[in-house]
Amino acid sequence: MALKSVESQALRASSPGPDASERELLERVAKARDQAAFRTLYGNYYQRLSRLLARMSVRREDIEEVINDTFWVIWTKAGEFRGASQLSTWIIGIAYRRALNALRRAKIRPVSDAPFDEDSISVESTDDAETDGQWLSLGLSRLPVEQRMALELTYTLGHSCEEVAAILDCPVNTVKTRLFRARETLKQVLPSLAGMPGEKS
Amino acid sequence: MSSRIPDTHAEAWALLPWLANGRIQASDREWVEAHVAGCEECRAEVAAQRMMATAMNRGATPETAATDEQRSFNRLWARIEASESASPASVAADAARPTTRYSRTVRWLAAAVVIQGFGLALFGFNALSGPSGISEIETATRSPAARLNAPKVRIVFAPDASIATINTLLAHQGLSIVSGPGTAGNFTAELSADAVASGASANSVADVIAKDPNVTFAQPIAR
Repeated sequence: MALKSVESQALRASSPGPDASERELLERVAKARDQAAFRTLYGNYYQRLSRLLARMSVRREDIEEVINDTFWVIWTKAGEFRGASQLSTWIIGIAYRRALNALRRAKIRPVSDAPFDEDSISVESTDDAETDGQWLSLGLSRLPVEQRMALELTYTLGHSCEEVAAILDCPVNTVKTRLFRARETLKQVLPSLAGMPGEKS
Repeated sequence: MSSRIPDTHAEAWALLPWLANGRIQASDREWVEAHVAGCEECRAEVAAQRMMATAMNRGATPETAATDEQRSFNRLWARIEASESASPASVAADAARPTTRYSRTVRWLAAAVVIQGFGLALFGFNALSGPSGISEIETATRSPAARLNAPKVRIVFAPDASIATINTLLAHQGLSIVSGPGTAGNFTAELSADAVASGASANSVADVIAKDPNVTFAQPIAR
């Protein structure tokens, strides 16, 4: 059941259909400076980028600025996209680099140095999903931003390993290593999600 | 069919996230699935990763309202327009730019500005002071003394803002519409001499009206 759910989300995020139609939109932006096409493209990515940037610890008040900076680049460079990669990896890659700049400007450390606060997890909750979500948020906050992004791009946005490498601008093997390390770290703080027998009923 | 069959536990292990999310490369799928079928540790890991993926999707940031998205886009578009209007290249871009749909209010305001301009040319100021709804729009074209160097503000109104609300907002700040809309529905308004004399500036007025819920974007125009 869970797999079907995840796979369907992954397909929604990255099936070839949307990429082809989005390339048409980009072409209209590049050639005709078509505002309607630009607006549609913006809407296609607004939620996705908002969520990704929030996961990167970009401050809420800066998220819009990063998204708009990203689409400013898309407006000005639309004609330069040659289609060597998926359009989504190009757009999300721009947003990722802009977000890193925003984090640097805001002097936000991408990883918390605070001790892992188990007391902040509600012991009264009887909802396993809710408790897992709380553990997960805490666990993710312990990861370097590059590892967190590799997880987010893979599990939530459903990108392939090669697409994640293109977005993060690193070799494929680096993506595999980041994800491997992220999983190892999370296993230490998320026993139930790590599937360790006996850790959770 | 894969040209290479590594079938090592370590290599399969590294690809499990993409087996779990359904995006593993076709050339790897076959051998990784074959390995997982015979490896209890990998099967448990795939199950754990699917749980993690489900939890991450469940814990996603709540969706923002459509109005937030529209406001964000309006700000971006106003920025693009401001940039292109300052660039000679914008002439070509403007020529290629297709007609854009606006809210009724925006179109109405545009019509008001244009019609008032014609009205002034044909009948003079007094002819416009009749009962027509158009004359209810506060525009600088009412005054032949519209000043070239008056402080100006670029404004985008909320799509659902009424004419009456916009007029009240403009009047309170001593603003009059002098041109618009641009392709993002942005208008240019200038400050009255009285407002300037009382200490208002394009910056201060833009700051104030930017906070108004009937305005999605306000920016002083550099002179």
